[in-house]
Amino acid sequence: MSVEDVLSRGAHLLTVEVRLLWAVGILYMVAAILSLYGLITATHRSGRMPHAILGFTLILHTGVILLRIFETGRAPFQTLYESLSWFSFTSAVTYLFVSRRWRRVGLPCFFVTLIASCAIFYALLGRSPEAKPLSPPLQSWWFEWHVVVAFSSYAVFVVSSAFEATYLIAKRLLKTRDYALGLAPEELKPFRTMATKLVIFGFPMLTFGIFSGAAWANEAWGRYWGWDPKETWSLITWTVFAMYLHAQSVPRWRENVASTLNLLGFVCMIMTFLGVNWLSKLLGIPSLHAYAV
Amino acid sequence: MRRAENIKRRVYRWFSSIKTSVYLFALLVVFYFVGTIFPQGADIERYAEAGGRFVEAVRLFGLLDVFHTPLFYLVAVLLLVNLSVCTWDRFQRVRKRAWRESPDVERRLSLALSYRETEELLEEFIKKQRFRLISRDEDTLTAEKGIYYRYLTLLYHAGIVLCFVGFFLTGLFVKEGLLILKQGEPTPIESQMMPEIRGWLAPEEPPRFKIQLDEFRTEYILSRKLNYPEDGLSRLAIALGWQDITYTEEERFYPKDWFSKLRILVNGSTVLEKTIEVNDPLRFEGYTFYQVGFEEKLKLKINDKVFTLSTGRKKNIEELGKTLMFTGFRRGTLFKPDGTVDEIRPFVTLKEVKEDGTGVTLGRLHLGESMEIDGKSLRFEGFEETSILSYRYDPGVTLLWYAGFFVFAVMSLRCLGRWYMLRFRIDEEEGGKTTLTVAIHCRGLMADSQRVSALLNTHLERYVRR
Repeated sequence: MSVEDVLSRGAHLLTVEVRLLWAVGILYMVAAILSLYGLITATHRSGRMPHAILGFTLILHTGVILLRIFETGRAPFQTLYESLSWFSFTSAVTYLFVSRRWRRVGLPCFFVTLIASCAIFYALLGRSPEAKPLSPPLQSWWFEWHVVVAFSSYAVFVVSSAFEATYLIAKRLLKTRDYALGLAPEELKPFRTMATKLVIFGFPMLTFGIFSGAAWANEAWGRYWGWDPKETWSLITWTVFAMYLHAQSVPRWRENVASTLNLLGFVCMIMTFLGVNWLSKLLGIPSLHAYAV
Repeated sequence: MRRAENIKRRVYRWFSSIKTSVYLFALLVVFYFVGTIFPQGADIERYAEAGGRFVEAVRLFGLLDVFHTPLFYLVAVLLLVNLSVCTWDRFQRVRKRAWRESPDVERRLSLALSYRETEELLEEFIKKQRFRLISRDEDTLTAEKGIYYRYLTLLYHAGIVLCFVGFFLTGLFVKEGLLILKQGEPTPIESQMMPEIRGWLAPEEPPRFKIQLDEFRTEYILSRKLNYPEDGLSRLAIALGWQDITYTEEERFYPKDWFSKLRILVNGSTVLEKTIEVNDPLRFEGYTFYQVGFEEKLKLKINDKVFTLSTGRKKNIEELGKTLMFTGFRRGTLFKPDGTVDEIRPFVTLKEVKEDGTGVTLGRLHLGESMEIDGKSLRFEGFEETSILSYRYDPGVTLLWYAGFFVFAVMSLRCLGRWYMLRFRIDEEEGGKTTLTVAIHCRGLMADSQRVSALLNTHLERYVRR
């Protein structure tokens, strides 16, 4: 095949991929809307439809990701466009896995699918889908490990914060009702335990993400820590979740303080992933992680 | 004397408290946050000139270098002391098992068995489920499975203390700088583009060896600019199938890799040779040399006048009465999308910089060729390439890696692994019957107290009195 043919085939595959990703974004949004509808109408079967749609969307999204791997011949998280797609995918997969026991609780589904669809639409409307070759610093076996593990921790934290927020709202509503958001008073504690378990699961992964990032930076740039905004924000996220886990051992902080820290950790995680690029641009602070933009 | 004891006890309590850890973490978060708001390492005068705010506060608190202020070091040291004291304090308690924990599951069963029979039945269960019998009192049996989670917690906290030691070793002994290597010139290890970063106790004299660049080469991947619209509506048109994504004719050269063939010389003789690239540095006598970039200087000729300039910088060329910029110098191997490989004829892209700062591309200028600009001839005569390496001497880094991965491994084991403790209390009743109180403790995400409870149920089922 000539260069022209190869590029023409690449452009065609990219067009197909972008169209499929639009479908994925729309389906996530439909799942979010149906979850919201279920919350408003409070029907017993309201949890089934969004979960069924989410399951189907994930099959489609898996196809999109495999197509991207086929197009680029590498792991699909070099550019922000790819990372956003991967982030929404891992968040939705994690949610679907951990929500098996809590299908009738619609609010976490609403949060997660809304975040997933927003990430997809931001990728489609705000970023370019151009498949670029890996830049030299990214050509390392750390690339796959660091990104996969760090993003898995992000996904876990997204779902954990969705559970935590639902817990806080349900706790308030249950003061005046016997049943709220699909939860009875006796179910509140195990529901909240799920949020804590998720952080316990995600925290070692975030730790690995930071250490592997430092080890990689040491190989690529000759310095394991440079107080780059992205590095610093990842450390902020780690510290906030460390505070959350420590707050669990202080009886007076186990409830509201810990919940606030979990939600704050989620905000910090979003800052690490997306906000820091914006902050660096806004304040003119150079970042070595600019390739992720 | 008593007062001093009191103060000592209070200080110990403060440092061994988890609340203190949370407060110190919160303080660190404030420092980290400030470090991402103010440009670290920037010059205060430049910061003020660029319209930076709160200049006096920035100067007073050293906010442009917040991670090297005494206040930050103080908080870091306090956290280290807190971590060490907490670890020591918990170690003392763990050793004595001086914890009172509420069980995850607690049950009371009435059994139609004698004390001895109940005991035997429980021992059988402990053996069958591979628990370890850790204590046997008058009427209590305690069994355990897995590594006691508090030992793991202690271990990874001790690992974090070791990481801190690694950081301090780095801070004390680190040496870091940049080297610009020209082909064929032995170069001493002395920082060139920036002053050498040196720890408090780092050796002052440079190492006895020199480094030489034998060859530098670059590789590129050819592609084309993607024709993808910027506005949302046009992107929507692609989604709806009204428009397709295409590639334009504009060529793009993406860097694939760059390599430096290096040689280490001791007293003029070669002791080591290696071709390095990004992510594959050269190590020798505690020093590591990293490929961080390259730079080229172009030799150009206008009407018999030869001058050299660096790429990527604006230059006012008096002979032409224009400000020009030479960007995107390319030479080396080119990998094409169809799988073929070519050698690039060295070229540079020439841009004219207008008064408003915008650039107009004038075209590509290949080596040995000329371009006519306003009737004057601009010829690309030659180029000189230098490889930029960073070097680092850091005895703390090895400890840091070992400690870091130890922390990760033990933390994962603590969080994901399983630990169970069963405590059976047997109370003898009249008529040869017993009451069994079972307390099940468990930790770790894989642990399931309900499952152990169900297994115990099955084991005792036949003897339970309803």
